[in-house]
Amino acid sequence: MLKLFKHNIQPVSELSSAQTAVEVNALNLWFGDKHVLKDITMRIPKNKVTALIGQSGCGKSTLINCFNRLNDLYDGCQYKGEVIIDGKNINSKKTNVSRLRAKVGMVFQRPNPFPMSIYENVCYGLKLQGVRERRNLDDAVESALKQAALWDEVKDRLFEPAMTLSGGQQQRLVIARALSLKPEVLLLDEPTSALDPLTTLFIEELMESLKKQCTIVIVTHNMQQAARVSDYTAFFHQGKLVEYADSDTLFTMPEKKQTEDYITGRYG
Amino acid sequence: MAKLRLSGLNAVQRQSLVISLTAFFTGLLLIALISVLVLITARGGAYFWPKPIYSVALTHISPPALATDQVLPKEAASKETTPRETEQVVTLLANVFDDEAKSEIRLKYADALNPYGAQLLVERERIKRIDLAKNSAEIKLNDGRQVMAVPENVVTPEGANIPLAKLPQIMESVALISDEITKLNKQFLAPIHESLSRFDNRDVAADAPAREKLVAQFNEYQQRVRSLETQRDQYKLAVSFAEGQPFSIPIFTIQSVDFVSRLTGFEKWQVAIGEVFVFLTESPKQANTSGGVFPALFGTVLMVFIMTIIVTPFGVMAAIYLSEYAPNTALTTIIRVSVSNMAGVPSIVYGVFGLGFFVYTLGGSIDSLFFSDTLPAPTMGSPGIFWAALTMAILTLPVVIVATEEGLRRVPEGLKAGSYALGATKIETIVRTILPIASPGIMTGVILAIARAAGEVAPLMLVGAVKFAPALPIDGEFPFLHLDRQFMHLGVLIYDSAFHSQTDAKSASMMFAACLLLLVVVFVLNILAVLLRTRLRKRYLKG
Repeated sequence: MLKLFKHNIQPVSELSSAQTAVEVNALNLWFGDKHVLKDITMRIPKNKVTALIGQSGCGKSTLINCFNRLNDLYDGCQYKGEVIIDGKNINSKKTNVSRLRAKVGMVFQRPNPFPMSIYENVCYGLKLQGVRERRNLDDAVESALKQAALWDEVKDRLFEPAMTLSGGQQQRLVIARALSLKPEVLLLDEPTSALDPLTTLFIEELMESLKKQCTIVIVTHNMQQAARVSDYTAFFHQGKLVEYADSDTLFTMPEKKQTEDYITGRYG
Repeated sequence: MAKLRLSGLNAVQRQSLVISLTAFFTGLLLIALISVLVLITARGGAYFWPKPIYSVALTHISPPALATDQVLPKEAASKETTPRETEQVVTLLANVFDDEAKSEIRLKYADALNPYGAQLLVERERIKRIDLAKNSAEIKLNDGRQVMAVPENVVTPEGANIPLAKLPQIMESVALISDEITKLNKQFLAPIHESLSRFDNRDVAADAPAREKLVAQFNEYQQRVRSLETQRDQYKLAVSFAEGQPFSIPIFTIQSVDFVSRLTGFEKWQVAIGEVFVFLTESPKQANTSGGVFPALFGTVLMVFIMTIIVTPFGVMAAIYLSEYAPNTALTTIIRVSVSNMAGVPSIVYGVFGLGFFVYTLGGSIDSLFFSDTLPAPTMGSPGIFWAALTMAILTLPVVIVATEEGLRRVPEGLKAGSYALGATKIETIVRTILPIASPGIMTGVILAIARAAGEVAPLMLVGAVKFAPALPIDGEFPFLHLDRQFMHLGVLIYDSAFHSQTDAKSASMMFAACLLLLVVVFVLNILAVLLRTRLRKRYLKG
């Protein structure tokens, strides 16, 4: 039944390279002695919403941090294996990490606007990329804020501090900040867990509209949310990818007993 | 006993006992703080307030204070005949400093033998009479001395006596003569003298006629200056002391004449404000016992300013390295601990270090490299304001580092991650996000450093602060800022004037006045820094 509403959903096994935004090959990751990600191999489809679910500490956030090499910030983190974006293995030493991070946007669990004006927040990434012309910045700010459905609320106070916005507005501002760089992939790390239900709905609708422009990967603890917004879902358990399928299949007839137990709330 | 009673209390009583005990000690602290402020303000303020002059009559018995230096005027004693003939009564013009706790009164008096003032301690019972001396004035001289006497009239070069009312006009015309003399000296005598010495150096026979002409010119101008000087010197103010002893003061040496005993409340304020102005704008006179403290004020502020310019980038850079880049190893921990411990090293140690390393080693090397033509006279190899500022920067470095690190640590991890996730490199993240957010913390460190540097005395005396500096570190001469010059510092001035206090009441007050000024300077610098910090906080931390 649901398949009628969601069009063009292929089984994960049939995804071609052209349809893949991020390809993960035999990825292993350690924090010190702790083996956090174990032999992950998966293809994340282009212009789709992929949800990563699993218990806390199962490695799903660590996995999306691998997509923009944010794990590099932590001491004692080591990884092996490939993450291919745009045909290049980003784990190679030659990767320009700054350019990669501009291409792979990220939104965190807690809204983290910088203590500057709304305008400056959205410009932050662009200025780092060397955009200086006032007109280009203005246009980029406007379109990013419009995409994040925040423009109408803030257009009259662009130069007020970002901290004066509400929590939900701040999270949309952070999304706009990521979108200003026109990323190919947008990583959302539990983006709604600190927000109220209405704002959550708002952001979920946003994801639906954003997927035309970019690939979205969302980490979430909310099963309903994963089922509502995602086209594909991957279930992780203790650093392993247990099951990965289109969301309809995974939520209606999971192959593995473990998955079924988790999504029906029998454990975890 | 006490233990027994304590155990008899219930929980609420015990708690209120603890509260009252702690509150008691807080109260003590408050009292100490307030008394410091009140004492400094009162004693410092009293320095500026005009003190009335009294005519004090006292008996003169077996006078250890008077016998040696005072011969009593016989007729004066007989005029004020006392019932007992063995006692002689002396009348003095004096400022009276009352000390309630003692049976003695301190007088700062002037008479014919001590026209510029002396001090005397007198037992209360020796004092026969104290009257306000309405006609007497405090006559301040340009060299910082002062005379307490009754002005009588003005004497002109022609020997005419002019009434006192004309004094202001006479003072003005004398000032004109003085100006003329200065002008002649500067415009004619100095250049001629310079050319003459150039001739002397060349020692060429062909120059002889020109030289002769110059010498003639020089003599002519010198003659004019001399005659003007004699004219100026002959304008005199005739005054008399309590018993009518005459005294005369050349008018060109007089700075001001205040009839302090007949001032109204408003006039007292005027005099006091004038005194404050003199105090803030003039140089010290009479070995730092009168005059102003401007060079010290200037030196203190300039030294603190230079120090801030040095210490802020140094401290911030070091803190950034320690908190953002340094690997988390035992060595880093050791460095961190030593930095905090550096704050506890006695300041004189830094002074010795500054003298030994900065002045002798560093300054000496600079001299031999860049100023070798003036050696053996040192240029940078002697104590000076730059070395003092550098020493104070080393002394306050730990404060800045610790406060900055604290500020850096308070930057939320989420913000850093957000910046990195937008493609910022580490240095971009530090400059654009971390430093602005940490700036209030950095300001806190700088405030503490400023307060410490402004009040420090001991190390400064080793590396460049002096009792009296002939020139300011900044003037109109190239290169305008003379970092190698010695300077005056308020703390050192206070230290110096504290040694006068036993003998001279006025300079004891000057110590308090300088102390009050130092407090005000530190307070103002702090307020400025706190205001700046509040602004930064508002901007970067909340809303």
